[in-house]
Amino acid sequence: MEINFNNVSKSFVRKRNGQEERFVALRPTTFTVRSGEFFSIIGPSGCGKSTLLNLLAGLETADQGSVEVDGRRVDHPGSDRTVVFQEHGLMPWMTVSRNVEYGLKLKGIGAQERRETAMQYLRMVHLSRFADALPHQLSGGMRQRVAIARSLALQPSVLLMDEPFSALDAQTRDLLHDELQRIWAETKTTIVFVTHNIREAAYLSDRILTMTGPPGGIKRIVNVPFAHPRAKSSPELSTFTAELHQEIKDEVDRVAMQELDADWNPLTSPKRPPRDVVAPGEGI
Amino acid sequence: MSIEHPTKLVPRAPEPERPKRDWRALAVRVGFVILLIVIWQIVASAKIVPPYLFPGPMKVGAVLAEKVQYDIDLLKKAINSNTPPQPEQPSLAISILKSMGRMGIGYGSSVIGGLILGVLLARSWILKQTVGTVILSLQSLPSICWLPFALIWFGIDDKAILAVVILGAMFSIAISTEGAIRNIPPIYLKVGRTLGARNFTLAKDILFFAALPELFGGLKVGWTFAWRSLMAAELVRPDSLGVGQLLDSGRQYNDMPLMLVAVFTILTIGITVDLLVFGRIEKSIRLRWGLER
Repeated sequence: MEINFNNVSKSFVRKRNGQEERFVALRPTTFTVRSGEFFSIIGPSGCGKSTLLNLLAGLETADQGSVEVDGRRVDHPGSDRTVVFQEHGLMPWMTVSRNVEYGLKLKGIGAQERRETAMQYLRMVHLSRFADALPHQLSGGMRQRVAIARSLALQPSVLLMDEPFSALDAQTRDLLHDELQRIWAETKTTIVFVTHNIREAAYLSDRILTMTGPPGGIKRIVNVPFAHPRAKSSPELSTFTAELHQEIKDEVDRVAMQELDADWNPLTSPKRPPRDVVAPGEGI
Repeated sequence: MSIEHPTKLVPRAPEPERPKRDWRALAVRVGFVILLIVIWQIVASAKIVPPYLFPGPMKVGAVLAEKVQYDIDLLKKAINSNTPPQPEQPSLAISILKSMGRMGIGYGSSVIGGLILGVLLARSWILKQTVGTVILSLQSLPSICWLPFALIWFGIDDKAILAVVILGAMFSIAISTEGAIRNIPPIYLKVGRTLGARNFTLAKDILFFAALPELFGGLKVGWTFAWRSLMAAELVRPDSLGVGQLLDSGRQYNDMPLMLVAVFTILTIGITVDLLVFGRIEKSIRLRWGLER
């Protein structure tokens, strides 16, 4: 299992002040995700990181170039590339278990086996007790656990995660980081993880793709030189995060210079973290 | 790194909480209605207005009882003689059956037509610009205005009434169906597609249910439109034999109590269907979807 982006580019037509204009979301981009890897994509907003994930999911098609998973070209969504979105997207009319079973049902798996598989993955996220509950009866963190179980139950070649923990509170997020680490180690699934939370990326990933933009493109791919599992509060990880943070901050400042009034500059701006990244020291 | 999980019995998740019936609110509502009836009786008994213009609830109740008795006798006679009932005066039961039959056909066709039209409008840009615009403008025409046309086209026939009902409800259902489809949160589309659902499966399993709360709201409004159109059409068209006509025959005989019986019948049917049928289903959908607690 290997994911290849070969010279992939994407642009959209968007309306601004009633004028239609072409907006380059992703400049030609080439990179490879290795099998079993935890691969994160970080960058300021508008850098095309979600576009990249949508291209991989098959929810969008590239203007040029090709996305390949296992040597097969991605041209539509498929259950071999399941996605956990920022909004959990659980179907409110289905019970928790039916939500997890739904993808299996589409694959033509029988009711009994479906239920067993669903329970197996609900146990993995520690929610087997809630199999017959409805999504609205769960907390935000629990819903995201179900969304993870639903995606994993299909045993995808790669699990895609699009800022899955951004909408959660800091404590729940911490909890889910550790859970995701454990699940990743248990299932050995390749994970492509989009986030704007740098500490989160540093804590979880094998490699991190940093992006620049807009227009979106790759800056570089960073190796995280620590073995799993990692201690979240270790000074090495903090130093590593701070360096990465500075790199992203330069990019955010550059974009802000273009977008904001001319009297703004990064030196006189308040010493607050840029709006799109979480500063070191802040909880992840 | 794996963790021991229980494989045997696990406690069930909590049942969805059923909202407790608000007895206090119910008592206040019923109490207020009773109070209104008492005031009505007092005003009527004071005879400020002649009773034939303003009969009291007792008188109206007596006429209602008379009507019910008449229908029972009619039914008995019909069973004994094994022939269809032949009323010599307006029958409450036959009026209700007649009106409900028309609602069944008229509203049923509106739902089918409206849903199909709504889906087409949501899916096709050119239909939305052309047919959609026409529908929107026709929607502002009170449906009873179609009756003169329908009478000429279809004659003095049930078809004319049905046409008014369908024209009154179908466009409203089509417009709300289109809205319901457009308002489906895009996340469900994305989730459905990434889980492997496509085309018809996606529409049947995901989009339909994602749109259901709003879709059902549209059907409920459509029912109200259909019911109002039917009453208007029956009231205006002679010999329609529906509840609307019962009201008009009361006017012809100068029978104010009968008119009030007709009005209460119309109200009762409206409230029953609106609150008990549509209201309940809507509530249970909203509860399950977590839109309401």
